[in-house]
Amino acid sequence: MGRTGSKRSYRIGVDIGGTFTDVVVVDESDGSVKVTKVPTVPADPSAGFIDGLTKALTDFAVDPGAIAFTVHGTTIATNTIIQGTGARAGLITSGGFSDILEIAYQTRPTLYDIFYDKPKPLVPRYMCIGVRERIGPDGEVLVPLDEEDVAAAARKLIAEGAEAIAVAFLHSYRDPAHERRAAEIIGEAAPGIPVVQSAEVCREFREYPRTSTAVINAVLVPKIAPYLARLEERLVELGLESGLHLMTSSGGIITSATAKRLPVHLVESGPAAGVIGAAFVAETMGEAGLGRKILALDIGGTTAKASLVDDGMPALADEFEVGAAALPTSTSGRGQGYPVKMPVISLVEIGAGGGSVASIDPGGALTVGPESAGANPGPACYGMGGDRPTITDANLVLGRLNPDYFLGGALAIYLEQARAAIERDIARPLGLDVDAAARAVIDIANAKMIAALQLISIQRGIDPRDYVLVPSGGAGPVHVMAIAAALGVETAIIPPTPGLNSALGLLATDIKQEIVRGIFEPITAMDVEAFRLVVEELNMQGRALLAKEHVDEDDMELMGEAEVSYLGQSYPLRIRIPAEAPNPLAAVDAAFRDAHRRHYGYASETEVSVIRNLRITALGRVERPRLKPLDQGDGDIGRAQKGARRVVFDAAIASCPIFERGLLLAGDVVAGPAIIEQMDTTLVVPPGASVRADRAGSLVATVKQGS
Amino acid sequence: MTENATSRKAAGDIAAPAMDPVTFEVLRNALINVTEEMALTIRRAAYSTNIKTRADFSCAFFDNDLRCIAQSFAQPAHLVSMATIGPAAIREFGPNLIEDGDALLVNDPHRGASHLNDIACISPAYFQGRRLGFLANMAHHVDVGGSAPASLGINKELYQEGLILPPTRVASRGTVDQNLLKLILANVRATRETNGDLRAQLSANYVGAARVGELAARYTPDGLAKFYDELVAYTERWTAADLAKLPSGTWEAETFRDDDGFTDTPVRLKARVTIGDGRIELDVSGSSPQLASPINCTRTMATCGLAFVARCLVSPGISINSGFLSRLRVTGPDGLVCTAMRPAAVVGGWETGQKLTELIWLALHPAMPDRVPASGKGLIVNLGFGGNDPKRGEYYCYMETVAGGGGARPGKDGPIAVQTNLHNTENAPIEEVEMNYPIRIARYEIIDDSGGAGRFRGGLGVRRDFEFPYADCTFTILSDGRKFAPWGLAGGRDGACARFVLDPEGAARELPSKVTLTVPKGGCVSVRTPGGGGFGNPGDRESAALSRDVRNRYVSAERAKSDYGSLKDFAGPVARRRP
Repeated sequence: MGRTGSKRSYRIGVDIGGTFTDVVVVDESDGSVKVTKVPTVPADPSAGFIDGLTKALTDFAVDPGAIAFTVHGTTIATNTIIQGTGARAGLITSGGFSDILEIAYQTRPTLYDIFYDKPKPLVPRYMCIGVRERIGPDGEVLVPLDEEDVAAAARKLIAEGAEAIAVAFLHSYRDPAHERRAAEIIGEAAPGIPVVQSAEVCREFREYPRTSTAVINAVLVPKIAPYLARLEERLVELGLESGLHLMTSSGGIITSATAKRLPVHLVESGPAAGVIGAAFVAETMGEAGLGRKILALDIGGTTAKASLVDDGMPALADEFEVGAAALPTSTSGRGQGYPVKMPVISLVEIGAGGGSVASIDPGGALTVGPESAGANPGPACYGMGGDRPTITDANLVLGRLNPDYFLGGALAIYLEQARAAIERDIARPLGLDVDAAARAVIDIANAKMIAALQLISIQRGIDPRDYVLVPSGGAGPVHVMAIAAALGVETAIIPPTPGLNSALGLLATDIKQEIVRGIFEPITAMDVEAFRLVVEELNMQGRALLAKEHVDEDDMELMGEAEVSYLGQSYPLRIRIPAEAPNPLAAVDAAFRDAHRRHYGYASETEVSVIRNLRITALGRVERPRLKPLDQGDGDIGRAQKGARRVVFDAAIASCPIFERGLLLAGDVVAGPAIIEQMDTTLVVPPGASVRADRAGSLVATVKQGS
Repeated sequence: MTENATSRKAAGDIAAPAMDPVTFEVLRNALINVTEEMALTIRRAAYSTNIKTRADFSCAFFDNDLRCIAQSFAQPAHLVSMATIGPAAIREFGPNLIEDGDALLVNDPHRGASHLNDIACISPAYFQGRRLGFLANMAHHVDVGGSAPASLGINKELYQEGLILPPTRVASRGTVDQNLLKLILANVRATRETNGDLRAQLSANYVGAARVGELAARYTPDGLAKFYDELVAYTERWTAADLAKLPSGTWEAETFRDDDGFTDTPVRLKARVTIGDGRIELDVSGSSPQLASPINCTRTMATCGLAFVARCLVSPGISINSGFLSRLRVTGPDGLVCTAMRPAAVVGGWETGQKLTELIWLALHPAMPDRVPASGKGLIVNLGFGGNDPKRGEYYCYMETVAGGGGARPGKDGPIAVQTNLHNTENAPIEEVEMNYPIRIARYEIIDDSGGAGRFRGGLGVRRDFEFPYADCTFTILSDGRKFAPWGLAGGRDGACARFVLDPEGAARELPSKVTLTVPKGGCVSVRTPGGGGFGNPGDRESAALSRDVRNRYVSAERAKSDYGSLKDFAGPVARRRP
């Protein structure tokens, strides 16, 4: 696990994005971070994973046997749902309720667009079947499970080509016995087919979000489990003994064994890693306080993602929707996507990244994205058969990217092909010169990213001017200064390896498991000793889960919370269970009334409070990588300047100085106009802005306002 | 915000606000966010299913000139009700008599509120002794007394419908008036829930006032006041410019509701819509006179219908505030079924309001044939019931509404199982309902063959069966749509009518659409909502689409043949899939 005392000494993070697969290697002995980047292989993402890993092992002479910890972040789960390439799944429900996916919330998330449609159910109506059974709200059996119904439903679904079956019965959060028995029967009728029980995936009440979560899991298992199994095999072939961990939507990590069974946890895996990475870098800033309030903007090859981190804590949500266009509001907007009822890092994602294609739409307007050239054929400048202009091509034409130093020179790119594509597809139709056309492409892309940042700040009543912007992804630093200026943000922090921020984030978090147990009892009716026993039992379960994830006893941390409400309320407050209190029930009750007063301005002292769920978060602490600090420089930045070239900002600058990031030392200040290049990204510093190298390894950029 | 930026650019002739654009956008969103946070507070603190789960409430902020500045709501039905009752109540009570920490309650429909169940709660926001404006929220309470549980009764006058609250001070300088609260609670059936819900409403205003105060601390009260002016003026300019781009002229249409609940006489609704000069007007002259019936709608409700259609026709970025609302007007004499006056009963008025909204669409069909949908569910489908809860030993009271089919649209099928037009309440999760009330939901599914045939098919209606296994109950249906079906457009056929059936698995007795009855222990009421009308000639439906319909049982094979003419194009695949 890479903890102290281990003789092994490397940790590896592998992040597969839409365009590139990033591998980061942290040498535990000195905190040095080494990175490599290879194109993603969309047809077989595991091939890109192995390519990148093999390259990293070779380039950095790492002994595979010395790798203690391997964490993987992936967008494969999200892409599978959004692109509709999930498995063909069937759904078995309580009889009379098989249309649950079609009906959903029965609302329209967009009030004033009469042409809006609810998302198409992930399982078509003819593959949703009700069976006779019914469990009541107290867990009582009202109608016994009709086993022949279940077997017949399973046979019919198999005949229709189901690759997985979800079972979601009413009130199964209270007693999952019928779901369990149904799973056994399906297993007999169709040996080997993955069966997902709703209460096993999400043991919470409210049938639609729970059923939806189970269905998403069912659609994913047949696609994700084989992928992970293939990866594990290949890791063993390469000589790795570390096993494989995956990042979850909430920013924790789980073993691949868990992920194969519950891939729904991976839906926001990739984006979560980026946010954790940004938070980690900001936390390590030498300058106290600078990184406490950050807007993280991750611009990858296909999309850009915006999120907000206060005091190192990424904003979290209890529930989210895959495929939803924007943040829902408190009263409307539910139902745009497919609900997943589990904790998630809250972020906004839009279709604009380095590979986003620029084109003229039928109305004659210039548009950028969401279509992406991806890694293959890639932007026109890759010369790999793609001939449509992308954001990367526009940056290259403007001199902001270096044709001889893309990915540190590892990938040859061709300026002339980028020029030709922009000239043909944009400049000529719009009657502009090539520079102006390329600038227009960048302006439109920036406007989209600014909108994403506004959604998570201004639209939530938060002033972005109080925040610092932390760019990541290969294209983040290329665009960051212009975006910051437009938002009125004064400072940007450029991490040491922005292009590999997500991969680094994979190594900067803890193993996390959550256990939820429904209680649904008034506090006054509960017995203190019985309560203690339940909490202890759940803690034991948490420890057992962590032990399965190979966490040492010393690194375990368990946090118990009770979800409490007044009888009749539906949205409980989460109250920490004080383990040492003489009477933890009374303490929870008192803390609930205090919290209610804080949240709502009043609290009844006499009304009955009810514990709905107990929730144990089991953490396996993972030590953070210690990044190598920069040496103090003498202030002479001449050592880092490696040349000059023509770069277009608002106007063309014939001889803009170019610096090598790796040669900048702590305290160095670079004034714009300038370009600072490194293997995984390029920082564009416009005239008027300036950049200082921080001892912790990040660059601190001061943005010129009003430009 | 790109959306706003783009739409604003597209509007072209709209002068931008005379304010730093970042501050303008920050404040615009911050104030909406205040109302959003109020909404979240109500939802989380509330007790009754209708509020906490089905989101039947809204929140707003008014400035000192009583202009509506920001609103958050999921129910377009509250679009105008809030903006009308807030200022009316404050004016009647006297704005200067409302002190920091005070709260008023009001629910009188004939003073501009909605129906009696919708109780508005209004409080001021202060910063350093200076009033910044007023916060208000309106929530649909499960019961406010009257002749039947959930205050859904088939009555002739408002006085039978429940407790009427003129603007009344319920909290003074932060202290709740316990005498008044007792008086209110003594008049309602679901005492515990109403008490909790009222507290949730007070709480929301408390949260909202704190947030507005924080904004004043940062941007100064004068800065906020300047922003209100800019926002309202800018919104009005943009709304006017967008309305001016629509075809101008006058169009009219008429239709009927089934009956008034006492006789079989259909109720006439008439809509004359005029667009021009950057305004939109609805004239309801020619509609039936107001009735001794609960289905009267007030002028406020009718204006909601017009505001909804207008809002669909202008740019999505336009905020809803006084600037937008000032460009709309409902004309025609008082005392019609669409402009009812005291002492008219109104609790079922939204059934009329919903149909009137569809009628506005219908009138506009010739003017903009590519933007108008066929008729959909066109109802709220009010269901209320209550009785003794043997498990808890207390009186319970419950209300719910059920979605239906949306009308088919030019180029698209109608949506399946949705709320339409003014109405957008969520379903109550079955697990939550069964946990909290002595009832069982026996079925919840969509109704095969209920969508009107067309080149684009109408959306399907919904069936929800309510069973009472533990005790008898008093059950009210206050709805319509059993006789006049949702219309198709452009050659599309009508959708299926609503049906209400007692004991569907037994005697299966058809119930009227407006009735209060005692359902004995073990009884069951089955509610089937209408499907949407179709759009375009059914014969033009693409065979792949029809084939998909048949495979998914949206359309039966028999109806595919009878409504769409031929099975030849898809008989193959269907036959293959049935071994």
